[in-house]
Amino acid sequence: MSNLSLVITAIAGLSAAIAGCALPAKTRVHAAVAFTWGACIAALVGSLTVLHTGHAMVLNSSRILPLTGVTMVLDPLGAVFVVVTAVVAIASTLYWLGYASHGLSTRTASAALPIFVTSMLLVPAAGSVATFLWLWELMALSSLLLVLVDQRRREETRSAAQWYAVMTHVGASAILFALVMLSAHAGNQTFAAIRIHAVHLPAAVRNTAFLLALVGFGSKAGAVPLHVWLPKAHPEAPSPASALMSGAMVNLGIYGIVLVGDRLLGGGPAWWWLTVTAVGVVSALFGALHAATSTDLKRLLAYSTADNMGLVLIGVGASGLFATTGHPAIAAIAMVSALLLTVNHAAFKGSLFLSAGSVQVATGSRDLDGMGGLLRRMPITGAVFLVGGLAIAALPPLNGFVGEWLLFQSLLHGLPTSSTAVAIAVPVGVAALALTGGLTAAAFVKAIGVGFLGRPRSEGAATAHEVPRTMQLGAALLAGACVVLGVVPMIVLPALERATAAAVPGAPAHSLRSSVELRLAGLQGVLAPALLAAGLALAFIAVIAIRRLAQRRSHLRLALRRAEPWGCGRELQTARMQYTATSFAEPLQQVFDDVLRPDRDLNVSHLAESRYYTEKIAYRTSIGDVVEHNVYRPMIGAVNAWGQWARGLQNGSVHRYLAYGLVVLVVILAVIV
Amino acid sequence: MSGSAYASSLELASGVVLVCAVVTLWRRSLSAIVKALAVQGVALGVVALILGVGKHDGVLIAVACLVIAAKGVVIPVLLGRVVAGDPASREAAPIVNVPASLVGAGALTFLAYGATGSVVALIPTTAGRLIPLGFATMLIGYFAMAVRRKAVSQIVGLLLVDNGIALVAFLATAGVPLLVELGASLDVLLAVVVLRVLAAQMWSKFGVLDLDEMRELHD
Amino acid sequence: MNGIGGVIAAVLVAGAQIAAVAVGGPLLVGVMRKVRCHIEGRVGPPIHQPLRDLRKLFSKQCMRPDQASWVFGVGPVVLVATAVLIAAISPLATTHPPLGQTADFFAIVFVLLLGSVALALAALDTGTPFGGMGSSRAMTIGALAEPALLVAILAMSIPAHTSNLPALVRIGLAHPQLIASPERFLALGSFLVVILAESGRLPVDNPSTHLELTMIHEAMVLEYAGPDLGLVILGESMRLALLLGLLVNLLAPWGIADRAGAAALVIGLGALVGKVVVAGIVIATFEVFTAKLRLFRLPELLAGAFVLAVVGAFTALVVR
Repeated sequence: MSNLSLVITAIAGLSAAIAGCALPAKTRVHAAVAFTWGACIAALVGSLTVLHTGHAMVLNSSRILPLTGVTMVLDPLGAVFVVVTAVVAIASTLYWLGYASHGLSTRTASAALPIFVTSMLLVPAAGSVATFLWLWELMALSSLLLVLVDQRRREETRSAAQWYAVMTHVGASAILFALVMLSAHAGNQTFAAIRIHAVHLPAAVRNTAFLLALVGFGSKAGAVPLHVWLPKAHPEAPSPASALMSGAMVNLGIYGIVLVGDRLLGGGPAWWWLTVTAVGVVSALFGALHAATSTDLKRLLAYSTADNMGLVLIGVGASGLFATTGHPAIAAIAMVSALLLTVNHAAFKGSLFLSAGSVQVATGSRDLDGMGGLLRRMPITGAVFLVGGLAIAALPPLNGFVGEWLLFQSLLHGLPTSSTAVAIAVPVGVAALALTGGLTAAAFVKAIGVGFLGRPRSEGAATAHEVPRTMQLGAALLAGACVVLGVVPMIVLPALERATAAAVPGAPAHSLRSSVELRLAGLQGVLAPALLAAGLALAFIAVIAIRRLAQRRSHLRLALRRAEPWGCGRELQTARMQYTATSFAEPLQQVFDDVLRPDRDLNVSHLAESRYYTEKIAYRTSIGDVVEHNVYRPMIGAVNAWGQWARGLQNGSVHRYLAYGLVVLVVILAVIV
Repeated sequence: MSGSAYASSLELASGVVLVCAVVTLWRRSLSAIVKALAVQGVALGVVALILGVGKHDGVLIAVACLVIAAKGVVIPVLLGRVVAGDPASREAAPIVNVPASLVGAGALTFLAYGATGSVVALIPTTAGRLIPLGFATMLIGYFAMAVRRKAVSQIVGLLLVDNGIALVAFLATAGVPLLVELGASLDVLLAVVVLRVLAAQMWSKFGVLDLDEMRELHD
Repeated sequence: MNGIGGVIAAVLVAGAQIAAVAVGGPLLVGVMRKVRCHIEGRVGPPIHQPLRDLRKLFSKQCMRPDQASWVFGVGPVVLVATAVLIAAISPLATTHPPLGQTADFFAIVFVLLLGSVALALAALDTGTPFGGMGSSRAMTIGALAEPALLVAILAMSIPAHTSNLPALVRIGLAHPQLIASPERFLALGSFLVVILAESGRLPVDNPSTHLELTMIHEAMVLEYAGPDLGLVILGESMRLALLLGLLVNLLAPWGIADRAGAAALVIGLGALVGKVVVAGIVIATFEVFTAKLRLFRLPELLAGAFVLAVVGAFTALVVR
């Protein structure tokens, strides 16, 4: 019965795509959403069964794909990712119902979105190289179609889609090489066979395969320096697609690294995992810094995705490192923390992107510098964004805090150790964790404070209306998940432990004991998130009660009075005088000037009569992506220059072309002689 | 036919094939080139005839007659008509001048002898020793295509390549099946007909048949 | 019986700690002000003046900006609520505070961060430039102080193999050589700098300035009036008292109640008050002779604290 669920998922997804393509405009979105929900629910049922029983689900068919056949194996690790994808997809497609009138009801979009969701649901269940690559490519192409939905209206969309297409296919070719190399050595393309054969592989093959997989999957996860497509593609895609990409697709990059590193190759030398940790540290810091200094709301969220994925990579790297140095229990805790961070990220990033989409629909722009006062005009969206922002800043009692606590504990208990690699990696990891936490808090105080609080800074924000109910519900669903996961993370922890047992070799079955509190088995480390939440709520109520009491005892007993803010006694106070997002981030930008290298353009124009009097001063500053400017653009320039040089070879002369053939023929014959 | 007469007539005919190929590089007048091609076609047929007579193979003799007819008569006539339509029927300054191209032809012949050494070792008969000649014809034909400007010269080069391949085929296997030869001849015939039409169009539209003047788009 | 008795005892201990911090916080601020005034040659207000100010503020009318949302009113409440929660569960007067197993150092840091974030958001809700300015500067300083803080916690947790605060204090009490170790001193030095940054004392922020160029914390609370302002002032002084209490208990835990019993608790409270007052006097004296640092010199100060903490962590690793 449980094997059927994958089949039902595939069929439902396909029907959704066909419905989206074939039906008329009035009904196509609803039908596609209904079928997609069917696919998600089937996938959920199947993966929850796998997680509950701990047994993998296997499905084999040689008829669907020619030459290679289809093999599906859903083990607990993959099941975790399927559940995450399914929940994010349900919320995003619910949101889509309300969003469809803003350009997402075309045939292409209505077909592409269900295909995207279905391929993401089935990728973690792939059990052979060919199945995996087919589904991966399907996922990449459908997401590319979704990014291109708005391309007629905006110029940047085309450029963003170009970057996305090239980088995702570079990544896909790296993954292709790695997997094909492994399956060629094993003589069989199913993952089980590769796993068995992995011990016989020479070290060079293992290292190459792992590095290629790290490049390919890391680029999908948004690891610096392969992240440049993220801040371009995520903002340009329509909001349900952005939520799916950030909440579900980047997770599959992490799944891929764990798949190749742990499940297929069965672990590796310490330098593999040090590389992963180093990549994680750099991504986390870079992403957090750019999020803190970005003024485009969705670009901020995209960089924050890179930051969170960096933290997950730190967890994965730490897990591998501890496993290599002989501490399987702590390696298990580190892997559980990485998986928990992934689950948390899907919940809060999904809800943040959906509410950012609502804001974009209501105000007409993504620019934080022009927003403000939206909490009063859009109370539900504002509250959802607030919850999401507090969760991503890792504040108790929400879910981000539990994940970061667990990561910190795994790093702490990984010491003491005799390995210098671990001794250096752990403090660096903790420092990175701390700095990104602080920068993320600053970034989201900026996003919430400048975007939703204060007074409207532009016409669009002043006339914003609350969005349709389905859009609110979609975002609120994921925000509710944040709250639930923060107060009772125990509901997901047993599943994550089972997934870790499948992923990390030698991990004990129970590394955490959790009932009301989270307890690290065999170590001193306890967290009681429910008690913290209850304590906070109690303290909150107590303080309000005491304040009411104190006010009641005062002899004046006056009601709350609303007045204009004092603002240092200034008479004229306009909304334009408030701090904008750029000004909020300015101290951080100055501190990290060397890393960010903003472009500054100052134009001073003088009066015609005298150079001593200035007429106008125009100042423009923008923060581009340092990696893009210093690594990618020179590379693209070099390829362009080489291509221009090569054009000289094609000058249109038939004689030249014939001569090329003759010369090559003569050379070959000479070689034969 | 006696052995030595057989061998020497075979050598003569094959030699004529190669010499005609060199002549196409030497002469500049297009009509002379076409005549050389005709002679080469006839010589090729004679080679096939000698081989057929030597082996008492009726099919091969029939093929030889076909080759003489097609390559020796029909194709040169067609080409002649094209040449007649072009008033400037001389090859204007070729890309590689005549002495240099003749030296190149010599070098290609040496290369052909060197490259086919192993093939000759496989076929120790009289015919086998002459395979390098066919190979050299082929290379010279390719060379002619690359260095000649006029469209007609290039089709002549193509035909030389085809003749060289046919010679090698006759010598190595003592004839190709009739069907294959028919097919190859039909291909080449078709190519020549197409060129005839194309050359007429080029002439009427552009007024030149010089390919090097047709490298860029014109209004 | 033990269950209900245990719960009542826990509630009593929590109440005692909360009361101590809630009343002692403003008193501590008063003491620090008095010390400064005496050193500067003035008489100064009495020590209990902050309590009188609070009473006055709570009896006034509550005023809020007309365009502010509910976040403005909730901010101070969250600030005080977080301080109350931490006061209840931290090892201030006793090494077995109620819900002590929840009092993970990491958790406490993030609960404090919740309070700061709430205040920063409320500041942005005012719609004036000062709110944004204070909020921006405070979040920058907070972001730069976090690495120092967490690595200092790591350095203190490594020898104890846990980051649970009551456990850290218990281990310090049981093994004094752990306290006299270089890594503990380095970590606590870094922690002290972070406390100065988080509670807005010199040389990071001048608590009594109202000049635009120099305000950080004061700019955030400029628009508060009446009970809201009372809550903000109470919350800030509670945080200062809490952080100093944690610092002194990690540095010199003697006197803290190690076993159950009212007498031990009273002695613990007394010891806490004494130690915190001494720390406050030291800080106030230091403040008199220090000038406030420029905003863009603060990263250097916080980076110095970070390096101290890292050296402490490595020392802890090497010594094992």
